Amino acid sequence: MDLENTKAQMRKGILEYCILSILSRSSCYASDIIKELKDAKVIVVEGTLYPLLTRQKNARLLSYRWEESPQGPPRKYYELTKEGKEYLADLDESWNDLVESVNLIRTR
Amino acid sequence: MKITLSVNIGGYSFNIDEDAYSELKRYLKNLQLHFAGEESSAEILSDIESRIAELFRTKLTSYKQVITIDDVNNVISVLGTPEDISDNERTSAKDKFSSPGYHRMYRDTDHRIIGGVCSGIGAYWNVDPWIIRLIFVVVTMLGGLGLLVYLILYIVLPEARTTAQKIEMKGEPVNIQNIKDSVKKEFDTVRKNMNL
Repeated sequence: MDLENTKAQMRKGILEYCILSILSRSSCYASDIIKELKDAKVIVVEGTLYPLLTRQKNARLLSYRWEESPQGPPRKYYELTKEGKEYLADLDESWNDLVESVNLIRTR
Repeated sequence: MKITLSVNIGGYSFNIDEDAYSELKRYLKNLQLHFAGEESSAEILSDIESRIAELFRTKLTSYKQVITIDDVNNVISVLGTPEDISDNERTSAKDKFSSPGYHRMYRDTDHRIIGGVCSGIGAYWNVDPWIIRLIFVVVTMLGGLGLLVYLILYIVLPEARTTAQKIEMKGEPVNIQNIKDSVKKEFDTVRKNMNL
């Protein structure tokens, strides 16, 4: 059995959930999302974020607008869509159930 | 003293050392290949490039005006190599594609002296090809039969061209991990031969 693979599988589902969760608190730039994810140690390398962000945008869970920046080219400013909020609520419930189930098993 | 180039990364202008530029170019190319199958690969790459520019800008000061190879290596470690990124992605695909360990004899033209016949036989039986060559030479000297057998085998045995065939030649299962390892090995060999 591949320990690293199993760990990666665990982390992968969580990452998508975390992105939506961060955006539900406030809209922000990709670099802000990265900073939070790194502080919480959810990602190791930043590159994992970008394909996920784009996929979620394509699935209409997020949207972005271009914000002008005084120091250079415009940047993407992300926010959660209505579908994204519903999707997140579903994931919140699912996460709570999961934690409960695992705790039941671990503490028996 | 080094030559520098002026580059546009994500809409910002940078002065970058020549060697740093080569390394960065290689990294971006690898990323492009990695995301080639994705629906919005151009958008992903553009986002990553913008991030690279952001990171580079934090490294420049009034004293330091040029992006160096250390900066590039640092940014690569922060963003992650395609391998680092794929470790966090769909890993289930790895297990699905795998053919059982077919063991076929091919001509190994990568390690040939004449036609790769002896290398191929050696790979199939996991024997040093020179032993096979010795046998052929001895049998040829004893009446020419070896040459005939060699020619027949040369015609009959197919050349191992694809990486999957080269893996089959040794009798190992063909899956993504093995193909990855084989390609990496070949890349390193070429690199060594060219002293890169």
